[in-house]
Amino acid sequence: MAAKKLRRAKLSQELCERLSRHQITTCQDFLCLSLLELMKVTGQSYYNVQKLLRKVSRACAPKMQTAYEMKLRKSVNPSSAFLSTTLHSLDKVLHGGVPCGSLTEITSPPGCGKTQFCIMVSVLATLPVSMGGLDGAVIYIDTESAFSAERLIEIAGNRFPTYFDSDEKLFCMTRSIHLYRELTCGSVLKRIMSLEEEIISKKVKLIVIDSVASVVRKEFDTKLQGNLAERSNFLARGASVLKYLAEEFSIPV
Amino acid sequence: MQRDVGSLPLAPALRARLVAAGFQTAQELLETGPCGLSKEIGISKEEALEALQVVRQECHGDAARTAGGSGATRKCTALELLEEEQAQGFIITFCSALDNILGGGVQLTKITEICGAPGVGKTQLCMQLAVDVQIPECFGGVAGEAVFIDTEGSFMVERVVDIATACVQHCQLIAEAHQEEDHLKALETFSLESILSHIYYFRCRDYIELLAQVYLLPDFLSEHSKVRLVVVDGIAFPFRHDFEDLSLRTRLLNGLAQQLIIIANDHKLAVVLTNQMTTRIGQSQSTLVPALGESWGHAATVRLIFHWDNSQRLATLYKSPSQKESTIQYHITSHGFRDVQPPAVTQNIEGTEMNPRKRPRREEEK
Repeated sequence: MAAKKLRRAKLSQELCERLSRHQITTCQDFLCLSLLELMKVTGQSYYNVQKLLRKVSRACAPKMQTAYEMKLRKSVNPSSAFLSTTLHSLDKVLHGGVPCGSLTEITSPPGCGKTQFCIMVSVLATLPVSMGGLDGAVIYIDTESAFSAERLIEIAGNRFPTYFDSDEKLFCMTRSIHLYRELTCGSVLKRIMSLEEEIISKKVKLIVIDSVASVVRKEFDTKLQGNLAERSNFLARGASVLKYLAEEFSIPV
Repeated sequence: MQRDVGSLPLAPALRARLVAAGFQTAQELLETGPCGLSKEIGISKEEALEALQVVRQECHGDAARTAGGSGATRKCTALELLEEEQAQGFIITFCSALDNILGGGVQLTKITEICGAPGVGKTQLCMQLAVDVQIPECFGGVAGEAVFIDTEGSFMVERVVDIATACVQHCQLIAEAHQEEDHLKALETFSLESILSHIYYFRCRDYIELLAQVYLLPDFLSEHSKVRLVVVDGIAFPFRHDFEDLSLRTRLLNGLAQQLIIIANDHKLAVVLTNQMTTRIGQSQSTLVPALGESWGHAATVRLIFHWDNSQRLATLYKSPSQKESTIQYHITSHGFRDVQPPAVTQNIEGTEMNPRKRPRREEEK
């Protein structure tokens, strides 16, 4: 949205050319300037500049929705609002399960079962909707190399023996879990950025990242001065892209 | 009328030409007329007419200001302000201890900032306020609508449904206890659907969308004149990452704060912002301080800091022009924001006979 070119914001052609001479081509550049600078650059009066500002803002601003519309939309499709974890007490506390459309974080000391939970949730997501799943593919970003495919098949076979009764069904499930092994912060970030197209093409319904902390702690030593800012930069950027993906496609992350 | 040409809000090139041609005051410009102006400076007649219209608008604005006109002027006596403030309502938070330290609740025409660590209850309070602003006047509210600008994506409709249901039940209990005509009439329109449909939600993904939305807010507010609360949940989030140029960030934040103050004053509404905490590393220890730097601290009029103390949530009033600094405990229940001990039902919301909306100022208990 921010990188939208001014031409598409319906400004006149000559105005766009004039602005591009000052290196202002996107809405972001336009909105970052103060009013006086805008007057100088566009050569227009104060009132006209305010009108232009409003025009450009309208091109970038988000759409309005009332809370009521949001509620109606969610109530129309109640099953798609949560991914049930099949642990009844956990589901009750979470108001239905892992929420679709937002980030959920699982933290614990080592050995408590985070990776096991991630594997189980991946299995659940591939189940059809009638069994409480999301009937879709899973993207699993593994930074600790802790994912074990054998364990995946073991969980699926023992938990849902009636569904995974044939080998074919097992293969179908394993085929829809896409595993990516990333070992550095940079590659994790690049992978997250490239997820948008994959989600659409592979019909992904769940993204799991196991784990964010390990790769960050390996690379950024907090005792060194500049690293703290860089680390929070990396985390914040990753978080905002993941939030955008979760909301845009209404999938749990 | 004696205004200098150089200070008029015309296009810079035009201004330079006028000054070069020898015009000094706005009066001279008006006397010359559009045809004469176009001949002297060498611009088209339409441009000259446009320029003269701008000048005339400016001079009228000046005249109205000096004559002490009602709407545009910013000058009035302290007595008028006192009367205005006493007649103004507050937005209650349903936690009477918090309302007490704020002097009645969240004030209109002021910016209130809520800072806190993640998970302490800032978004909960914002959702509570978005529901509370709609309480009808006979129950002690301001009967307004709410604009919710979300940058973090933590707005959950299901939670707002819970809070709104509890609020409606609370008002129903009061109406049953008092059985007054206007209470029952107000209850007919105060329902879950009406509450939800009067919360206007905007989801801004980065700082450009936030800036654009704030530029467009005045137009939106003139269409929806009943809005009495603007919540920006997470003003720090889009500005904290990906900003190499810190001076640009400070400038944008200051511009944002100024615009919000203008909006709060012009449309008589309350602005509530939530901020994150950051760690300041001192010589021997590190402390949690509100994010966005020292200069942002001047933007808000009232500052509340939420923090934990073992497992109890505390709210501290950190900065306020009229109340003293104090700390209270609060609770977040399934009904929303509440006191630690549930207060008596009827006392909080009813007001005195003087003004049904304003709650009586009580002395500090401690």
